[in-house]
Amino acid sequence: MKVVTVGTGMASAEFVQRLRLDGFGDEIVMYGDEDFPPYSPCVIPFYLAGEPLETVYWKGLDFYDRYKVTPVLGSPVVEVDTDKHLIHTSSGRSESYDRLFYAAGAKSWYPRPKWLETHGVFGFKTLTDMVAIDRYIAEHNVMRAVVFGGGFIGVDAALALWHRGLEITLVHRNNRVLSQMTDEEGGIFATRKLVEKTGIDIRLKTTVEEIVAVNGQLSAVRLSNGDRMETVLMIVSIGVSPNSEPLSGNDKGVAGNEQLLADPHIYAAGDVAVTKHAVTGLSGIYATYPNAMQQARIAARHLLHGDGSYGGSINTNVLKKHINFPIVSAGSFSGEPVTWQQGDIWRRVYLVDGKINGYLIIGDTRISGYIYQLYLTQRRVDKKIKAILSAPRHDSYYREMLGMLDLAA
Amino acid sequence: MKRIFVDYKKCLACKGCETACAIEHHPSHNLFGALGDNKTQINVRVLGIEHEAFPVSCRHCDPADCMNACPSGAISRDPESGAVILRATLCKACAMCAMVCPFDAISFKITHESCYGRDVAYKCDLCNEQVKKGGQPACVVACHSGALVYTDADPSRQKRAQKGLRTYLLGEEGMPPLVELFRELRKQEFARRRGGE
Repeated sequence: MKVVTVGTGMASAEFVQRLRLDGFGDEIVMYGDEDFPPYSPCVIPFYLAGEPLETVYWKGLDFYDRYKVTPVLGSPVVEVDTDKHLIHTSSGRSESYDRLFYAAGAKSWYPRPKWLETHGVFGFKTLTDMVAIDRYIAEHNVMRAVVFGGGFIGVDAALALWHRGLEITLVHRNNRVLSQMTDEEGGIFATRKLVEKTGIDIRLKTTVEEIVAVNGQLSAVRLSNGDRMETVLMIVSIGVSPNSEPLSGNDKGVAGNEQLLADPHIYAAGDVAVTKHAVTGLSGIYATYPNAMQQARIAARHLLHGDGSYGGSINTNVLKKHINFPIVSAGSFSGEPVTWQQGDIWRRVYLVDGKINGYLIIGDTRISGYIYQLYLTQRRVDKKIKAILSAPRHDSYYREMLGMLDLAA
Repeated sequence: MKRIFVDYKKCLACKGCETACAIEHHPSHNLFGALGDNKTQINVRVLGIEHEAFPVSCRHCDPADCMNACPSGAISRDPESGAVILRATLCKACAMCAMVCPFDAISFKITHESCYGRDVAYKCDLCNEQVKKGGQPACVVACHSGALVYTDADPSRQKRAQKGLRTYLLGEEGMPPLVELFRELRKQEFARRRGGE
């Protein structure tokens, strides 16, 4: 049986590794847009912050050799012919498959793609982006940068470049950064703390309206409030869209069944996969590493043994990069809020029917694992949640286990 | 596979485990080197909860949520000892592991293992090298009251929830009389302090 992966990202790498470790000896071909071994997108900003490139190769630089894979790199897959079991690349190459693992990931979405033609404007999604930005900063002795878009990737970019020593302006449309993974009050708290801790100039309720280029080289940007900022480097991190066109014909992702099968011969996984949420049951793209891993493992198991089913995705996430100020979030921010705050720490849990519907833990990771388990298991916690959030010395898990949670707190 | 089990009722909160762990993991392997060094790494901590005490460390779960959450390849399992090992050279301190650890067993700081001038995640490594040579973890060796025990995990326990702390609790054996007395005195002292507030 010939297995082909579309994508060489984390899901594909895990899938292939699992197949080989579980004794799969037939041909495996991996198709990727970029000319690199599988790398960790979560790690690549650290390369820009000054850490060694080799640490991005989370499964080793020799991945393709070690797992006896034929890599076909450098040109994207543009079409999947599900009738003939063929994939076609932009360079005209075709490949047949018996089973296809479709994990093509997502790409940066640009409000004005034309901006990218200007030297000095970059996306912040791929290792290719990172290598180009790194070279550009070194060649042009860049001292300051504008980051447009303050979602997860934008904040990650701003912090990585700040850590490298650049002066950063972060321009964001909303009234707080990380607006998708925070509620209003928590997000405003987190934004204020990030500014206090880093000195990054965050411009809220503002967008980049136009860029000023001289001979094709970025020299300044103009903001929606009329300000003009001189800069030779701008990172655009407005959003991402899944690379699902070759398979589904649109950019809404690829839905699969409980075995992650989008078609009897095609598994879909990772940032392109539409899956059900493990707690709410709502379908969506839950683009985090643990979900991608679990999907890859289920698919590998199903391919080899014909059993296993995916229990659903969880939308937990944490941003703690380059500074020790974590922002943890999961679920959805509706229901009855229960909040606790002390100094740099801010915690809020949303309850629906006495169970955790969503939560935000800012400034500290302690008790976040406990809250995560309570959220996953959907236990009733209405009577004790205040005591859990506010336990002195952040030891509520152990207090509860010893039967010493102070419910009057 | 052997694991560290806890009989918290025997814990006298002497913090001998913390001290032994600090020495074991300090490059000097020496108390005076570890003292006053803010890079000193202590992978076990004694929680004081009212009149009870509890030594907290990584339980080396299987499956381990932290390992499944780590996106940088820094966390792996030693097939020989079953220990969940965190390699600081690959760790980016992104907190994905800490976010899901039910035991709060993973912390962050600049340790002697830090390579890039920033904090890394650190946690109990089960004293893996010692254990594989037939030894015991330093905290267990240091524990004189029997609160920490390194022993084979009973398969019937393993069938139960891996992530529940109760899986790792001991308490079948009788309490030594002096420990009983100590517990009683400690309980009274805490009650007295509460009453005085």
